[in-house]
Amino acid sequence: MKVILEKVTSPEEERAHIRVVEVSEEIRSAVDLLENNCRSIAVSRADEERNPGESYMLGTNLIYYTESIDKRTYVYTKEACYETKYRLYELEELLSAGFLRVSKSMVVNIRKIRSVKSELNGRMTAELLNGEKIMISRSYVKDLKRKLGV
Amino acid sequence: MNRIKLIFNQTLMISTGILFGLGVQALLYAVFFDDTQIIWPWYTPFAIIFTGFLCSLPSVIFLEEEGTEKLGFKLKLVLHFFAILGVVSLCGRLFGWYSTLRAYLAIVVMYVVIYVFVWVATYWLIRKDENRINKALEDLRDEE
Repeated sequence: MKVILEKVTSPEEERAHIRVVEVSEEIRSAVDLLENNCRSIAVSRADEERNPGESYMLGTNLIYYTESIDKRTYVYTKEACYETKYRLYELEELLSAGFLRVSKSMVVNIRKIRSVKSELNGRMTAELLNGEKIMISRSYVKDLKRKLGV
Repeated sequence: MNRIKLIFNQTLMISTGILFGLGVQALLYAVFFDDTQIIWPWYTPFAIIFTGFLCSLPSVIFLEEEGTEKLGFKLKLVLHFFAILGVVSLCGRLFGWYSTLRAYLAIVVMYVVIYVFVWVATYWLIRKDENRINKALEDLRDEE
């Protein structure tokens, strides 16, 4: 796709005009990014997995963490759980720098961590803003520190 | 690679601890028994490193997450304590660091002091780390 980038002098003048043959998921994601200042990923309700119904575009700013269980990837928000077609490593690449892998099967949104508590065996327990607690494996604690500049 | 690094670091730390223990033992002999000459066999430096290496192995198993979750932290700690005590006792006997029950008890007391000291130091360090991480998270955290 040909992209034309033009500089303007005020925010009111800012606009994006996208001409496409088909509105693909990538295009929808790009629109979300432009409109809401965050990326979106396609998800479906986890409880509808046997009979997939409506799919949603979920803003990455709403994601608390994503988890891979039995080769399926689940996305958790404050109160809901969704399933996505992406594999965990794909999500890791797709999501912004605010996300961090905390174990072999989990990627967490750092902005949703309320606090962490260290354990004597080198692991950490992170309490999320919704009160949920997740485990940060010893080998990923270093990545967390590096990401936070600690 | 992480395991090799861990074993190497642990071996260094434990060897230093043993050297410190033997130093304290020599100091006590000098102060209380006026025995200012300590003669150690030629293999003592190697024995210290070898013992340090053997003592590092329970720590690797202790820190291993996969397959040991069911044991629980307290049970793992007890097993870790006795596994290292077993190695220290065996190597001490093998390398002639003690010959009487009294000398053995002195080594056990020294081991307990070092073990507790290491855990207290570790606890202090991880709490310090925890506070720094929580402070950094405060600046990034979303409002809910």
